[in-house]
Amino acid sequence: MKISELIKDKNFEKVYIVDDAINIKNGYIGDLLSEIMRNAPGESVWLTHQTHPNIIAVASIVEINTIIIPEGFEFESETIKKAKENNINLLKSRCNIFKAAGIIYTKLIEE
Amino acid sequence: MTPESNKLLEKISQFFSNIRIGEIMTSPAIVVTPETSIKQVKNIMKIKKISGLPVVKRGLKLTGIISIEDIIKVLENGKLEDSVERWMTKDVKILYEENTLSDFMSISQKYKFGRYPVINNENKVIGIITKYDVISWLFEKLGTMYIHDDRRKKILEREEYTSRLTGELLDNKKISFDFDIDYTEIQRIGTGATKLKSFLKKKGIDEKLIRKVSISTYEAEANVVIHSESYGKIFCWDFEDSIRLLIKDYGKGIENVEMAMQEGFSTASEEVRSQGFGAGMGLPNMKRFSDKMTIISEVGKGVIIEMLFYK
Ligand SMILES: Nc1ncnc2c1ncn2[C@@H]1O[C@H](COP(=O)(O)OP(=O)(O)OP(=O)(O)O)[C@@H](O)[C@H]1O
Ligand SMILES: [Mg+2]
Repeated sequence: MKISELIKDKNFEKVYIVDDAINIKNGYIGDLLSEIMRNAPGESVWLTHQTHPNIIAVASIVEINTIIIPEGFEFESETIKKAKENNINLLKSRCNIFKAAGIIYTKLIEE
Repeated sequence: MTPESNKLLEKISQFFSNIRIGEIMTSPAIVVTPETSIKQVKNIMKIKKISGLPVVKRGLKLTGIISIEDIIKVLENGKLEDSVERWMTKDVKILYEENTLSDFMSISQKYKFGRYPVINNENKVIGIITKYDVISWLFEKLGTMYIHDDRRKKILEREEYTSRLTGELLDNKKISFDFDIDYTEIQRIGTGATKLKSFLKKKGIDEKLIRKVSISTYEAEANVVIHSESYGKIFCWDFEDSIRLLIKDYGKGIENVEMAMQEGFSTASEEVRSQGFGAGMGLPNMKRFSDKMTIISEVGKGVIIEMLFYK
């Protein structure tokens, strides 16, 4: 799925997009950084409640290309700055993490 | 050992007399509990090809030593089902981790035992030392010194690091990548690991390998910032057949390495936990993603983590 696919959906709002042709092949959810390190697949979207700048380093190491936070959360400004430096897409969802995951999962399965 | 070879060992050892026992010993030592049967001990000795084992209680506290000589006594006068406690030698001569090679030489002059358990400052058995350990350590040392003879002085000043994993010398001059870890800012965690990642990418290293190396570096870097209370260093060597990593800090050290290695164990504060650290998965991740790993830690002096990744 291209990231443009997600931006078109009213449940997601873009915060920073490197390139909307970037491909998402998989996804992972979690808030524990070492657990993400261990299990998250590459070329994936990561749904999390963490908004601090350390998530950018985690994402770039395991090659997560997009981070999405659920409704009611905001990325710290330093996080956005680092996302730009490291070419990581940032999105906000207008729904909770469960629903957001459901929407993305369905889109990926349908491919 | 013949008197001549003893003499030779003595001579060579003088040269290294200040080396700590902790560096030479075999660690961890194979140990048994007092309840173990003599039969089991006999099997362990046979399988592991060793001739004596420290006997420990809970928490690796030393209570005795059981050796081939004791087993012979059992065969003559006892039953193989007897417990170790009945036959072990209780008055054990020990060495401390901080003792030096010259302490080993004098204790073995005095008692002529084959092996001495090595104890740390918490009275735990952390290893065992025999003449064989000393000889093989020296052999390795002399071997590397021969090759690097022009830098002999440096080796003695310990500016270089002898790999705990392979025994080879990891030469400062051949470092492919190094990075200073700034521990004052939690936000900077991962800077070193990401830099190393792009460095390895440029060198054309296999993607999967890069992933393993960078995850492991990230975890070690995070630990230095979060736990050590000291700055640290990342060193990476890109060898023909392997990638080597050394992550060092000069901080408080890990009190109980065995415990720290357990999945889920963490002393992280509430504050850093709320940021997603402290799952107690960092060290287990390093172990999982590297092919070989070792931790050297001294309370109050810091932690050295060495990892090896085959290409
Ligand atoms: N460099 C270090 N200096 C001092 N203590 C350390 C160091 N590295 C690890 N430790 C100790 O070992 C424990 C376990 O480390 P580990 O990396 O496995 O988990 P964690 O850092 O607590 O959590 P996570 O890595 O999942 O975020 C730490 O909580 C800490 O007590
Ligand atoms: Mg950790």
